Amino acid sequence: MSKIICIHSFRGGTGKSNTTANVAALLAAEGRRVGVVDTDIQSPGIHVLFGITGKEIAYTLNDYLWKKCEMAQAAHDVSGRLNAEVRGKLYLIPSSIKVDEITRVLREGYDAQLLTRGIRQLIDELKLDVLLIDTHPGLGEETLLSIVISHTLIIILRPDQQDYEGTGVTLEVARKLKVPDTLLIVNKIPASFDFEDVKSQVEQTYRCPVIAVLPHSDELMSLGSGSLYCLRYPEQALTEHYSRIAATLLA
Amino acid sequence: MIDKTGRLLVVDDNRMNRLKLSGVLKQQGHTVLTAENGWQALEMIHGQAFDVILLDIIMPEMDGYGVLESLKKDSSFRDIPVIVISALDELDSIVHCIKMGAEDYLLKPFNPVLLKARIDASLEKKRLRDQEIEYLKHVSLLTDAAAAIEAELFEPDSLLAVRKRKDELGRLARVFQRMAKEIHLREQKLKQEVQQLRIELDAACQAQRVAEITDSDYFQQLQSKAQDLRKIIDGS
Repeated sequence: MSKIICIHSFRGGTGKSNTTANVAALLAAEGRRVGVVDTDIQSPGIHVLFGITGKEIAYTLNDYLWKKCEMAQAAHDVSGRLNAEVRGKLYLIPSSIKVDEITRVLREGYDAQLLTRGIRQLIDELKLDVLLIDTHPGLGEETLLSIVISHTLIIILRPDQQDYEGTGVTLEVARKLKVPDTLLIVNKIPASFDFEDVKSQVEQTYRCPVIAVLPHSDELMSLGSGSLYCLRYPEQALTEHYSRIAATLLA
Repeated sequence: MIDKTGRLLVVDDNRMNRLKLSGVLKQQGHTVLTAENGWQALEMIHGQAFDVILLDIIMPEMDGYGVLESLKKDSSFRDIPVIVISALDELDSIVHCIKMGAEDYLLKPFNPVLLKARIDASLEKKRLRDQEIEYLKHVSLLTDAAAAIEAELFEPDSLLAVRKRKDELGRLARVFQRMAKEIHLREQKLKQEVQQLRIELDAACQAQRVAEITDSDYFQQLQSKAQDLRKIIDGS
């Protein structure tokens, strides 16, 4: 059965898109058929990590929501852009970066059932093993919908008081929505922290499994979304963490 | 000023030859020890340091070839220059010894001036080779130190000898050690200051924020539609 995984954070800048893109690339490299949907309609950006420019994007998620195309038509095969041996497939369904199209969605909203059916069609037509949903931070309407239709919700947080509070709120909301499986990733941890202690404290506080405690990485910051970390630094510890996340998600 | 004298070993089974050769060499300021056969020579070489060996070819028990072969096989001794002492009618033997790694040859009866020139040249070559070996050893210490830093096993005293050098390598070692020390101190400080994560949640505030979301019309509608949406996703 295909798995839909929503990767979310209450606040921006937690490394949500980077984590999503790296995990997606590693899953595809290992032979999985992977889809990534950018539901961050207000501020889309994950396409940059896959090296796609606005000009190359024909149809977007917005076009599907306005019935201008089928969902699969908005899927861009980015497997060949990874500059790595990819045994599976990686498709990106980007959101529009055009200002008028962003404001139109925000003004008019969209049909939740239409998006849900589109995702189902996407999984069927592209024969996806995994679909990752990259969300907009916070708990807006599109994010709540993404959470509802996911089999697994992953919340990413940093060692930051505002992230702690936002994560608590998100978890509570997810429980009320009866999300089958919720997991946490603690990201951007400085080297001065005891990682095992971080994992233990976060799990105890939120009564939720932590699947990874990721170190802060200067190299990742230096890449500046220019490319995928796991492909540039395949031997580094952070890539090993991403691989373990990928393996955990498919376990 | 460079010391042009050395510690020499004369190996010859003929007592008169040994005395004569060592006498001239001592007059030239060298420290000279003698051995009367190959076995004795090798024993002395294993126990003491020599700068040049003057080696006769034809000797009982172990001849000059045996000594030369043994020295060239051993990385500790292969760089000691060997000057073969030979008679003019042993030219083939000299050629063989040069092929085996002998530095030079000296014909009997030897000329003191020629002897001095050849000893001086061999000593100079030995001195330069020793410097090269020491340089390479110090470079190796530096690269080992870099690997030790990566493995967090760096010992500051490991570069003591390299730091004393007056050339560029010495400067590199001094800068390297200073930087390593600074990194080490910083890491130590970090380890001492291992931070503890403190998560403090305001339950009342959280409940209020959750309520703001879950009380909204959209949430209520979504919650009621959730089951239908999941059925679409699961194709049931």
